[in-house]
Amino acid sequence: MTATATEASAVRDAGGATVEFRGLRRVFGTTTALDGLDLTIRPGELVALLGPSGCGKTTALRIVAGFEQPDAGQVLVDGEDVTGVPAHRRNAGMVFQSYSLFPHLSAADNVAFGLRMRGVGTAARRKRATELLELVGLPEHGDRFPHQLSGGQQQRIALARALALEPKVLLLDEPLSALDAKVRVTLRDEIRRLQLELGITTLFVTHDQEEALSTADRVAVMHGGRLEQCAPPAELYDTPATAFVAEFVGTMNRIPGRTGNDGTVEVLGRRLPSRGEARPDTGVDALVRPEALDVTPGGDARVVTASFHGAVTRLTLALADGTTLKADVPSHRAPELPAGAAVTVGLPDRPVLVDDRTA
Amino acid sequence: MAAITATTAKPKNRPRYWRGIVAVVAGLYFLGPLVVSVIFTVDVPNQGFTLSAYTGILGAAGFLSSLRLTLELAVATIVVVLLLLVPAMIAVRLSAPRLRTLIEIVCSLPLVVPAVALTAGIVSVLRWGPTTLARTPLYETILQIQNPSFPVVLVLAYVLMALPLAYRTLDAGLRALDLVTLVEAARNCGASPARAVLRVVLPNLRGALLNTAFLTLALVLGEYTVASILGFTPFAVWIVGIGGSQAQMSVAVSVLSLVLTWVLLLILAAAGRGPSFRTSSRKLKVKETS
Amino acid sequence: MTTASAATPSPAAADDLGGGAGTALAPPSAPSAPSMWRRKPGGWLAVLPLLLFIAVAFGLPALAIAIGAFTTTDDAPGGAQWTTGNLSLSVHGAYFTALMGSVKLSALTALLGVVLGLPLAQAVVTSRFRALREAVLAASGVLANFGGVPLAFAFVATLGNSGELTKLFHLGDHGWSLYTFSGLTLVYLYFLVPLMVLTITPALEGLRVQWREAAQNNGATARQYWLHVALPVLAPSLLGGFVLLFGSAFAAYATAAAMVGSSVPLITLQIADALSGNVLVGQGNVALALSLDMILIAGLVMAVYVPLQRRSARWLR
Repeated sequence: MTATATEASAVRDAGGATVEFRGLRRVFGTTTALDGLDLTIRPGELVALLGPSGCGKTTALRIVAGFEQPDAGQVLVDGEDVTGVPAHRRNAGMVFQSYSLFPHLSAADNVAFGLRMRGVGTAARRKRATELLELVGLPEHGDRFPHQLSGGQQQRIALARALALEPKVLLLDEPLSALDAKVRVTLRDEIRRLQLELGITTLFVTHDQEEALSTADRVAVMHGGRLEQCAPPAELYDTPATAFVAEFVGTMNRIPGRTGNDGTVEVLGRRLPSRGEARPDTGVDALVRPEALDVTPGGDARVVTASFHGAVTRLTLALADGTTLKADVPSHRAPELPAGAAVTVGLPDRPVLVDDRTA
Repeated sequence: MAAITATTAKPKNRPRYWRGIVAVVAGLYFLGPLVVSVIFTVDVPNQGFTLSAYTGILGAAGFLSSLRLTLELAVATIVVVLLLLVPAMIAVRLSAPRLRTLIEIVCSLPLVVPAVALTAGIVSVLRWGPTTLARTPLYETILQIQNPSFPVVLVLAYVLMALPLAYRTLDAGLRALDLVTLVEAARNCGASPARAVLRVVLPNLRGALLNTAFLTLALVLGEYTVASILGFTPFAVWIVGIGGSQAQMSVAVSVLSLVLTWVLLLILAAAGRGPSFRTSSRKLKVKETS
Repeated sequence: MTTASAATPSPAAADDLGGGAGTALAPPSAPSAPSMWRRKPGGWLAVLPLLLFIAVAFGLPALAIAIGAFTTTDDAPGGAQWTTGNLSLSVHGAYFTALMGSVKLSALTALLGVVLGLPLAQAVVTSRFRALREAVLAASGVLANFGGVPLAFAFVATLGNSGELTKLFHLGDHGWSLYTFSGLTLVYLYFLVPLMVLTITPALEGLRVQWREAAQNNGATARQYWLHVALPVLAPSLLGGFVLLFGSAFAAYATAAAMVGSSVPLITLQIADALSGNVLVGQGNVALALSLDMILIAGLVMAVYVPLQRRSARWLR
């Protein structure tokens, strides 16, 4: 560990920069990839850009790297507008989705490529490449060629290459999406460890919410080219700002209810404070997580199926009015709630998020 | 980052002059001779504009007979190529995978022997006829395959020359099919092995078969080397023959034969629409350009 | 009621269970139908005609070349006997000049073909107009095969002694003649450049956008990208293309025969000439020796081409 720390210090000088998106717009033909994106990433922070495909997250990243030009808006790095700076003069290291290593160069030469472009001498290049290969845990693989490396090793080399020029910003464009589940988790944790050690400002594009929630300091959920919410993972999960975020992150139930005139909502026979935008005195859906529902034996709801997920068992419930819900209960309670059992569904004493009723 | 100063230049919007220059130069070089050839055929010295070079083609001595000979040779070549290759390649995939490399090597052999060298070999084999084989029944065979009205020896040579290209085209077609699963599925539905191949495999190979046929046709249409040295007169040899006396007409026929090749390739493109055509158009490169 | 994909807090045990079930339900190993087939001799029977055909149609001429190149003809004093005279004759005097002429012409045209074909192919590959790309590739397919007679006549009509452009610009007065080494070079490029475009296009398409972007991201300018990434990655394909073009130009006969007669010494023309009986008494088999020379060179070309192709396929997968 101490060895890693000293190696890391060699890179740490790079430090972290502030990255600011200001009103970024980008249109491709008829599709609007970015529709006025505003976001500030603080020095040393890891922000995950999360969203469904086509939400503009990759476009935003590529604008920082200089591969795309915004139609309007600016990108500021440490307060300086870099929008017009050509890609090869930006100080931002990028890790691509896959297959980005140069196939004719060994791992070490790939890592040292940027130094070679800068005219750094062979000895210095070799030294730096060795350092970086150790940093990503592949000190023995410098002589291997990309086709001799596994997918996970290739991405580690790509990470080392991205860090070689001591960039102020690290850009990760779904770097784990082409890997198997196990490697994905290991490498994800490794990236986070390195990022914390180096204190480098990092933008991490992903469509995998688990990846985003488990690695990032803050997760920025994007939808239709706009920012829906940017918050720490727990906050995002517990108090989603919009219905889109609520349903995109995690599993969410929609339970029919009715708003009152006093900022409350009546749902499942209870009246609770409401959050979110909804007109008073209208039919709405209350958004509730499966684990927030309280299921007790006896009542007019029915258990349709129960599926064992380890620590918890997920029940599919049918309410008397036909609404289907999902509820997670601790598995030790599952025997008292078998399929077909009559149950009552209760809500916790918390404000609930409401949304216009769908369907 | 301090070194970076904001410039307004957007790299993506930089015009790419080189592309235009390349396009113009290539266009002039490749279209020029064709356009000028057409002008050459309709602009006869001392006569001005005339289409006589084209109208005269049909009546020219030897045109129809040489064209017919070429087409007959082409049909025979296509039939032999397909009959030899298709069963062998299907069988190799279904039941004798160990032979696959052998077939590939054997079919690539003709690439190493240029057409002229092949012809030299053929000439010397044919000379064995009157010398060493004169008293054997083989002599009769050797005379027969040189019958000027339908020289079988040319078919033999053309099949050889077509093999590498045909192999690659069919191989690309077969690669796109999961042949074993396809046949197993057909047999599972009650088809006999023969029926499975006839009713399931061949229809799925239609594109590759058509490609092979057209490419072989194009090869035979333009073939000059073997035929001229062996002394037969198919289409290409006839064109050169009239070139000395009727320059306009020979160029006119050349232009027409190019148009014909082009039309063939367009048909090929239409027939094999989809990925198979792109594959085959690349495989064209293997064809020997004699 | 809407659900998104599994929430993070939901237990990871599900994955383990799924994995276990997956293993249990793994499809049974491949059914035995192929092995049933394998027992039948059908495979061999279907392959046999092809092998027989090659043995006769290819084997006999090849054998004739192999034997003939090392024997004298019957009309030689002393009748047919083993000799290396044909081969030594084939690499001396006029024959050697022709061999070297072919090698020089092929090397020059192949080099020019590579140098000119690469930018053309790059322009085609990066073109925004899909229809144009398809059209150029289809046209290349035609032109690469447009060698031979029609090509010769098209150039004769354009730049020959009484060709349209020759007359228009009085090129003859400036010393231009199509029926020379340089004239032939110009004509050969007409089918070699398209051949290069066809050969290199898949390799150019195999150049990943990520490589360009990764290079830029590492501070490389466009020139540095080409110098340090694109060209080295393309090198096997370019060399392979050169070799293929060389072989194609080397084997070409019809174009030269229809155009220049024998004013430019080429080995293919010499072979045809020798086959027509234009040889000294006793040297009848020199054509076979020349053919053997050609086969050796063509074989060498293939021996270089195949491994290069393999390597570039591995890189550009």
